[in-house]
Order: sequence, then C-alpha cells, then structure tokens
Amino acid sequence: MATTIKHEIGSWNTFHNNGPFPTKVLYETSLESKGNMPSVNDRYNDAAKEIQSLIKAALDSQEGFRAYGSAWSMSAIAHQKDNMHYNAAMNLKRAVTADELAENTSFLQENLFFFQCGNVIKEISNFLFDQGKSLKVTGASNGQTIAGCISTGVHGSAWDKGAVQDCVVGINLINGDTPDDIVYLERHTQPALNDTFANRINARVIRNDGLFNAALVGLGSFGFIHGVVIEAEDRFLLNRYVKKIDKDLALQLAQTMDFENSDFQIPGETDINGKPNRPFHYKVFINPYVDDPEYVVEIMYKKPYQSGYPDPVPKIKTAVYRDLILLFTHIAENFKSSIPSLIKVLQASILPPIDLDVTGTISEIFWDAGYQGPAYACSVGIDNSDSPKALELLVNLAREEGPIPGIYAMRFVKQSGATLAFTKFPVTCMLEIDGLIWDPKDNNISLPAFCTRTIEVLQANNIAFTLHWGKNADWSFPGLIQYMYGNNAQEWIAYRSALLRKETAELFSNDFLQDTALAEYLTDVPDTLAQSIDL
Amino acid sequence: MESSTSTGKRKIHSLFLTGFLLIFLSSCYSVRIVSRDGVPEPNPLNTSGNFYKGKKVNVIDKTITLKLLQGEFYLVENCASGGFYSIEYRPTLGGVLLSAITLGKKRQVKVKYVCLKQSE
Repeated sequence: MATTIKHEIGSWNTFHNNGPFPTKVLYETSLESKGNMPSVNDRYNDAAKEIQSLIKAALDSQEGFRAYGSAWSMSAIAHQKDNMHYNAAMNLKRAVTADELAENTSFLQENLFFFQCGNVIKEISNFLFDQGKSLKVTGASNGQTIAGCISTGVHGSAWDKGAVQDCVVGINLINGDTPDDIVYLERHTQPALNDTFANRINARVIRNDGLFNAALVGLGSFGFIHGVVIEAEDRFLLNRYVKKIDKDLALQLAQTMDFENSDFQIPGETDINGKPNRPFHYKVFINPYVDDPEYVVEIMYKKPYQSGYPDPVPKIKTAVYRDLILLFTHIAENFKSSIPSLIKVLQASILPPIDLDVTGTISEIFWDAGYQGPAYACSVGIDNSDSPKALELLVNLAREEGPIPGIYAMRFVKQSGATLAFTKFPVTCMLEIDGLIWDPKDNNISLPAFCTRTIEVLQANNIAFTLHWGKNADWSFPGLIQYMYGNNAQEWIAYRSALLRKETAELFSNDFLQDTALAEYLTDVPDTLAQSIDL
Repeated sequence: MESSTSTGKRKIHSLFLTGFLLIFLSSCYSVRIVSRDGVPEPNPLNTSGNFYKGKKVNVIDKTITLKLLQGEFYLVENCASGGFYSIEYRPTLGGVLLSAITLGKKRQVKVKYVCLKQSE
C-alpha cells in the first residue's frame, strides 16, 4: 500500500524563499514498491486511495488540502495553511496502449503518455527520449513537476507551440473522498482515450471542452491532479544561438515575429531561397539601466534529431559565489544608486555568453537550474504587438521609481486554450524581470510596491496584460482578475462550482484564491457544465 | 623603536601564518560529481540554501582503520533507486596527516551523496 509520512512543520516556504508561510502539516506520500505491486495501474489506483483517505481526513476536520511539487512558484499559489501534500514521489509513467485509444481520435497512440503528478520535467524528458519522443515545450529549466507546470502555466519561448499545459490532452483529478470523485477530463472535440483507460484508473469520464479548459490551468483548485495524458512528438534538436543585435531590430522582431522577411539572418538558418528560417524560440535580454544600442538575444531553430552532436551540457559547471551574490544584494539594499553598476558587474554571469552556439535536445538546452537561493520574478503577459511599448514603460518604472536589482527579458508563447492561461494573446510576450530579493532601504522601492506600480503603469497606458500565476505580483489589486480575464474569470468559477461540492471547493481553496477573488462558489450553475458533451 | 630583528621575526611569523592558512584552506576544498541526466531523490524538508536544497542528502563521516594486510577498502551504500545522483568528496588536512602518520592504515572519509530518485 502507498504510505504517507506526516510532518508537522509549522511553516513552509517556496524554493526561492518567498515566504515563510504558516502551515500545520506537510504530507509526503510514497508508492507501494514495484516488487509488491508490479502493475503500474494497481500502484496508481492504490495511491489514489491513499490520497482520498488524506482528503477525507481534511474534510472531516473542515480543513484545506493542497498538493504541490517542486515549490518553484514565487507567489503563494502552492501554499495552504492546513494541509499541504508533497507529491514528488508519485512518479509513475507509462505509454498509452492501443486498446485505450478513443475511436476516431486525431492523436497517434505512439505520441500519448500517461504521467503521474510528481514526475518532474527532467524525468519525463528522460522517459520520452528512451521512446524516441520529446516534450513539445518546457520551461527554462527542468525541475518542475508536471502537475505544478500545468496548474501555473509554465512556459518557455516557443511561440508556435504554447506552454506546457498545451501538451496535455487528458487530466485525472481526485476531487473528494468518494469513488465518484475520481474524474478523467478531456475535450469533447478532441477525445484522446476511451473508457477502457478510464476504467483502469477507476475514473468517471467527462468530455467537455469548457470544463477541460477551465481545469487545465486550475491553480491547484479543481482538485488533486493525480495524472495527465500528454501528447509528445518525435525527439528533435535545437540549434541555439546567442547574438547581440541592433535594439530596434530586436524590438521589431518582438513586435511582428516576422523573421522570414526580416534583416536578421544567421548563416545556415535560411531556406533554399535564402530567406531566414522561422525560429522555434526567441528571447530578448534587456538591462534596464544601460542605454545599449544593442540587445542580447537568444534564438533557436528546430531540427530533426540525429545523434553524434557535441554534448551541449558543459562538463564543468561553475557558479558565482553565493556569498558574493548576497554581498551585492546587501550593497544594493544600502546604496540604491549602486544597483545599476552592480548589475553591470554581474551581467556577464547572468546573461548567456555571446556567440556560443550549441545544439541539443530540448531537455539538454533547458537543463538544470543553477541558482538555489532567494529570488523574485515579476512577469507580465502582453500581446507581442504591445511589447516595445510595455518594455519602455516598465524600464522607465525600474529606472525612475527603482532601481531594483534585476534584468528584464522577453519570451514569446503561442495562445493557450486554457480559460485562465496568462498566455491568452495570439502570441503572448512574457515580459519578466527577475533577480535577488532585496530589503528596501535608503528610500528604495519595495518588491510589493514595484508589483503594484507595474499593474498601475500598464493600466494607465491602456495595455491589456496578464500576470504569471507562479510569480510575484500584487494579487490583491482591486479588480485585477476581472481586468485581466473578463468573462473568462466568471466562466472558470462556474465550471469549478459545477465540478466540486461546496465543501470540496473550500477544501481545495487557499489564501491565493481568496486574494484573487476566484474562491467564490456558485450554487446555481447548471449541472451540464460538469457533464460530458456528445459530439 | 622596534629593532630590525623583531621586525624580521614578525615578517617570518606572518609568512608562516599565511603559508599555513593557504595550505589549510586549500586542503579543505571539495569536489562534487553530478549525474548529467539523473534526477535527485527529493526531500521537501531540506531548506539549505545551496546545491543540496530540496534533495535528500546522505553523509559519510568516519575514520576507516585498515588491518596490516589490507591496502584498500570500499564502502557499500544503498540507494533504493540503485544509483547515485551526486557525490561530494572533501579531503582535509587532518585526514591527510592522519593517513601519513599511520602509514595509510587510518583513512578519514568525508563524503556527501544524493541518490537518484526512484523511477517508477
């Protein structure tokens, strides 16, 4: 049987020390061993029973319950004051079998895989690689759990592909303590698996586009995400280049994404007519405190997989002294005028080296994260056509009301189908600033104040935006969610209310959901919202 | 006024101290080997602010005593996954001296390792 350890922790923190947050209990569940229970499905269902028993205990105590994985989110989205569940050891994985494929599905069996919640991106990539497959996209690193990725909208800069959640075609949720509370969700317009699969995981099937899209970026509040079905693709390589290019050209590309007709060319990355290829990934780095006529850009082109390329992961990895980083931060706290100079000194360590071209798989290029210490990140999503204007506004904010210790970057992501995806624009530019958490002294702006001003500045200039669910922001800003998502926010609340009972809606709620005014429970929503729709 | 002899002695002392510190400090370095494709065994309670944050760390800190005819040894450790994610070895000046004084019969071992996460 799966077993759970109970830690009475008192307080909990994120990986990057954005807390601490008062917390009573941390549960940690381990699976039954393979030797005692060889079947993956049996161990999966056994784990589901264990989770349901924990949920029942929380319900009986009228407490909350929330799962989390790697704790990489910097917002309080993963936190729950009563009961938190660490699910990293729940990492079953398997291919989908032929008899599980839905009739008339558009998905290929060879591309579908079932992953339990606690699998981190790196182990998923390893597993897929051994099957000749790859994730379509990842974030900038590989340590997040799959359930954490989709709950918070983790993204890279694949502007033709989308965020991690956009690879998910099926979701298995545990919503409560009864057999009826294990559900398997799919889009009714894009069914992937049949009832044979659902029966194997003891789940009730609901095929409903609206419900699926709402639960896809569910902020951990649609229930315990036990497993997901992912569509992978054939493994591929990325040719990665880092260049310094004219600032105006970098911004023009950000605004139009029209690489094919631009002056930006990399030798060898052109078609037979000599026109530039369409890149897989585009990222722009901006030091807000330097008027540099050129920006550093990172650009990647997708290629068919072939073996024999040089290992892109260096054999020796070095890092800046942690003590040095802390020292710099303390200097910045006490002498705010020193921040631009310090960032310039650290720039060589923060930015990727120019003209270092490498080739690798997506998991090699977006390899392990190096920094383990305190950090903040603020990330706004805007339509890419607004990106030069938004960048100008936020650079001015950092200069005039800061400075704050950090560097901006812009990444670009294709629109997601998820109801509350912050990648909601046709191509969303994720404009982010990240750096080390500082203690504001010398009349410098604080991180919360900077977050508030970011919202105010964008609103004052009529720029439509979203905020990354897993990053620092003023989540209590009045009317924020309505401003960002309009009717989609009410739709999300309605689907959640239809799927959950009032007590389970409260169970899977937390302060973050209260702050964002998404915890509301509607009693008068039609039952059909949580029912299958026949085509 | 200080004599040139005492100034010279002080310089020698300073040089000796600097040399000792250099040897002592450089003998306390560590070497860490990490698996390129491995995933570390997690530990949510490890909040250390370094490489080991969030990882389950195992430490070996002991002195091995070899018998007269024994020239080498190995330590058998058990990772449930069957593999190591990282191993960090830290030689110390004390350990080197101990081994030298005992003609290699006593070996101080300071190793920190993380197992691979079990792949299910």
